[in-house]
Amino acid sequence: MFQIYLPIAEISVNLVVMLGLGAAVGFLSGMFGVGGGFLLTPLLMLSGIPPAIAVATGANQIVASSVSGTMAHWRRGNVDLRMGVVLIAGGVVGALVGVFLLKILREAGQAGLMISLTYVCFLGVIGALMLWESVNAMLRARAGKAVSARRSGQHNWIHGLPFKMRFPTSRLYISTIPPLVIGSVVGLLAAFLGVGGGFIMVPAMIYLLRMQTNIVIGTAIFQIIFVTAIVTVLHATFNYTLDIVLAFPLVIGGVIGGQFGVRAGQKLRAEQLRALLALMVLGVAIRVLIDLVVRPSDLYSIVPLAGS
Amino acid sequence: MRSTVLQLAPLVLALACTPALAKKKAPAKEDEPPSQEQVQSDISTRQISIQSNFTGAEILIFGSIDFSDSRTPSEGTYDVIAVVRGPNDPIVLRKKERVAGIWVNGPSKTYDNVPGFYAVLSSRPVRAIASNETLKGLGIGLSDLDFGRHISDNPEEQAFRSAMIRLKEQKKLFQENDDGVKFIGRSLFRANVLLPVNVPTGRYTVDVYLFRDGTAASKSQGSLEVTKAGLEAVIYSLAFKHSFIYGLLGVFIAVTMGLAGWYAFRRD
Repeated sequence: MFQIYLPIAEISVNLVVMLGLGAAVGFLSGMFGVGGGFLLTPLLMLSGIPPAIAVATGANQIVASSVSGTMAHWRRGNVDLRMGVVLIAGGVVGALVGVFLLKILREAGQAGLMISLTYVCFLGVIGALMLWESVNAMLRARAGKAVSARRSGQHNWIHGLPFKMRFPTSRLYISTIPPLVIGSVVGLLAAFLGVGGGFIMVPAMIYLLRMQTNIVIGTAIFQIIFVTAIVTVLHATFNYTLDIVLAFPLVIGGVIGGQFGVRAGQKLRAEQLRALLALMVLGVAIRVLIDLVVRPSDLYSIVPLAGS
Repeated sequence: MRSTVLQLAPLVLALACTPALAKKKAPAKEDEPPSQEQVQSDISTRQISIQSNFTGAEILIFGSIDFSDSRTPSEGTYDVIAVVRGPNDPIVLRKKERVAGIWVNGPSKTYDNVPGFYAVLSSRPVRAIASNETLKGLGIGLSDLDFGRHISDNPEEQAFRSAMIRLKEQKKLFQENDDGVKFIGRSLFRANVLLPVNVPTGRYTVDVYLFRDGTAASKSQGSLEVTKAGLEAVIYSLAFKHSFIYGLLGVFIAVTMGLAGWYAFRRD
């Protein structure tokens, strides 16, 4: 019932399950204000979609959810267009590197392993850091102390770098090198993992560039549209791994789920949200790690010869 | 109808020719009458289209034995073996190994000629029907396929080979059914073959062999075509032939849906 054949993945999946998966990930991403790619791609892999197809199709789904998100932020004036363009410029370079890296690894039969390992490392570290930070914030809030605000006006090593540019919306005058580097790392991650990279970009922009949190989120989600769109097109063109039939239910579920998620998120406190998100990130990391260390049910696997 | 007539033409020719061959052989044997039995067969579907609702397909191979010598169904004079073969493809088989506590794809072997689908259906276990040499000569049975790779007695090669067969069998892409051909009455027979959802596209051949006393007395050949059709075919060819446009289409759909979602749920 409701089985749908995927022309690129060449398997049959349940349409309702894929709609539900998109909606659940969309709900969580709306609630936490993240792209949700870090949940969607591993979940697709766990449901039998080949890793490289999960990455490309996951990136395509994030395009839709970040368009919805950007519209809301744009109207509130939270998008720093100039910063966005610099980040995108870096993102294009990172995306190209990532797409070709994945192509090489796929031909060597190591794509699934490297995607899984990178997921475990990134999600493990970031989940642990977020959990640590949010638990501390909750303890401080309980002790009655004010949650520390951002130390604005302080200068750090970033301000010594050349090629400075003025960013009026963020009220910053800083070097373009850090945003370019941040953008390219995010592009690389988007191409390699099928994630938007918000979980790297948001802390990097807050702590390194000292931007305001609301503008950071608006700008991050704005640039994610372009980076994931570029990644989608590159994967489709060079790796033939985009499955539109799979992307369609994920996009629809994601867009609808996302809207309900935003509403649910407004009912929770910021530290609680971050702690929950951290637990989820850690959960995914552990789940992917288990698949790597537990002896597989079958040691052998068949792959079609690359290029045939 | 016209194509059916054309397909039957070689059969008619074969019918005309074989008695001559049989006569040549006859003197070698004792005073047995020359066997004239012929097998004729066809497939229920000559064209299978993979569309978005495709979950696999069942085909029926049916046929009859003409000029049969057997008078009762239970006599057991004849055996039928049907072999369905999909297009050959090269594949790589990889074995996972434990490296620093993690399971990693390790050694691999390439097989140049692996049928994308291979099914052997028979009225009795094939080993009981004919000798190993006869079966090997006709390419009947998984153990007699070489998959385009020279297999030595090296235990590692053997382990890879049997793992590959096992994986293909799990996916129902390799099938052996000892009981797959059923006789109906004296000369009619039928065999059902299930093509799973992941069947490769291409031309499939169906060979039906009629065995008597351990030798193939007659053979009938047919074929069927598995193709992607409808929207699936359009998407597939777009993805591989115009992949850049296909990628843009994916982005366009996502952007449109994202905007629609925002517009439908906006609150200002």
